[in-house]
Amino acid sequence: MSEILLCNRALSPQAFENQCGIDIGTVSALSCTKPIMAAANTPYLVGDNSSVNRNILNQLTPEPVAKSLTNLSLFYGGDNVVALAEMTEKLKDYNLGLIGASTSVYAGRISGFAGAVQDYEVALMKYRQAVTSNSSMKNSAEKMVNKAFQKMQGQFRNELNAVTAQIKAKRGIPLNNAKRSINIAKSSRNVAKLDVTSQIQANKIVRFSKQAKILGNGLAVIDFASRVGNVQNSYQAGEKWERNLFIESSSFATSAVTGSVAVNVGGAALTFLVAATPIGWIGLIIGGVAVAGVAAAASLGVNSIVKDNAGDVYDLLMKELIP
Amino acid sequence: MIALITIFVGIMIGMSLLTMILYIFFAQITVKKLRKNSKTRDFLGVEYVSGWDIINVAQALAFPLSWSLKIENSKLSFMHAKASLLLENTNIFDRILGCVFYWFMILTGLFGITIVILNYLGLLSD
Repeated sequence: MSEILLCNRALSPQAFENQCGIDIGTVSALSCTKPIMAAANTPYLVGDNSSVNRNILNQLTPEPVAKSLTNLSLFYGGDNVVALAEMTEKLKDYNLGLIGASTSVYAGRISGFAGAVQDYEVALMKYRQAVTSNSSMKNSAEKMVNKAFQKMQGQFRNELNAVTAQIKAKRGIPLNNAKRSINIAKSSRNVAKLDVTSQIQANKIVRFSKQAKILGNGLAVIDFASRVGNVQNSYQAGEKWERNLFIESSSFATSAVTGSVAVNVGGAALTFLVAATPIGWIGLIIGGVAVAGVAAAASLGVNSIVKDNAGDVYDLLMKELIP
Repeated sequence: MIALITIFVGIMIGMSLLTMILYIFFAQITVKKLRKNSKTRDFLGVEYVSGWDIINVAQALAFPLSWSLKIENSKLSFMHAKASLLLENTNIFDRILGCVFYWFMILTGLFGITIVILNYLGLLSD
């Protein structure tokens, strides 16, 4: 595991030691091993300078990433940022192709979950504002944080467990512990600490810091964001971005249509079943889950097949159209 | 020799595109009208996601009347658009457009599911 430190303003060696409890000589940035001063918005690695750790540092160092990561970490707390990055990634997996089936019980639940997490984030943000401006609203803001936390915990315990199972934090993470997040929001520190367990996780954090505001604006937006991201990556890498755009948009379109049809047909079938047999509510719920499952499987299946083969279709079309 | 799966995926992409174009036309020409009509406004079925009522209306116009009446008498009728009411408030062109859109969409979706099943069974790989 790599320990990463981030400051939101430049710190002298003395101030750095006061805030972090370690000597500045023991940390290293990407560009220098023993800094004389801690610069703002620059990730510093604590201790072991292995190649894995260098790689993580390399991913987090580019200017826009480091800046938004520093702000996010100070705002939500380092553990929280890691947790949210993991979660956003999970939500994307659920959503990939599920857009067509967003009618299903489960997708409705996932967007409810994303909404509850977002409410919690907003409440924390308001509390942080009340604390920093020392406003009289501080107590009521704290109550709002607790209320949002209770709601999130009460309704989405299973999802939270699934999301946080892989995250191991010493003092519990803010998603399971409202007190901890209130303390983080209250503190006026300038340094945030991130515990990054792997290069893969660093990659997720980078992506999260780029699209942090997207969570909650509807899952379709997340899905689109990741698809647009793929197109933009290939554009920046100088690849055939038009080909990628074709792959991403056609896999989205085909999986959306397939998922919608599965849900529509399943819904009609259930309705006929209800009309024809004395099926009860329990049977209906089981039927609804089955429909949602078929819709998800179908649209995910189409998504992956089209993703794998749309490139060939594009090449074929181009060959025919532009001989 | 072009691989079978490439052809299938190509056809699927084309069909999806056409479905989406028909969806927009049907929404703009027929459903917009029904949403504004105070008689039909509240009978367009459950909108799971924004725009789902367009599919509900298409289904109501495309199903044979005997099927629609069965749905209306079911406990789950609230999920679907009320076909008997919609038939009174649409013209023949709306019904044809709804029919074409709905069945073409179903065909596209079932084709997509067929591709997934064939691919799963390994019948599409060379």
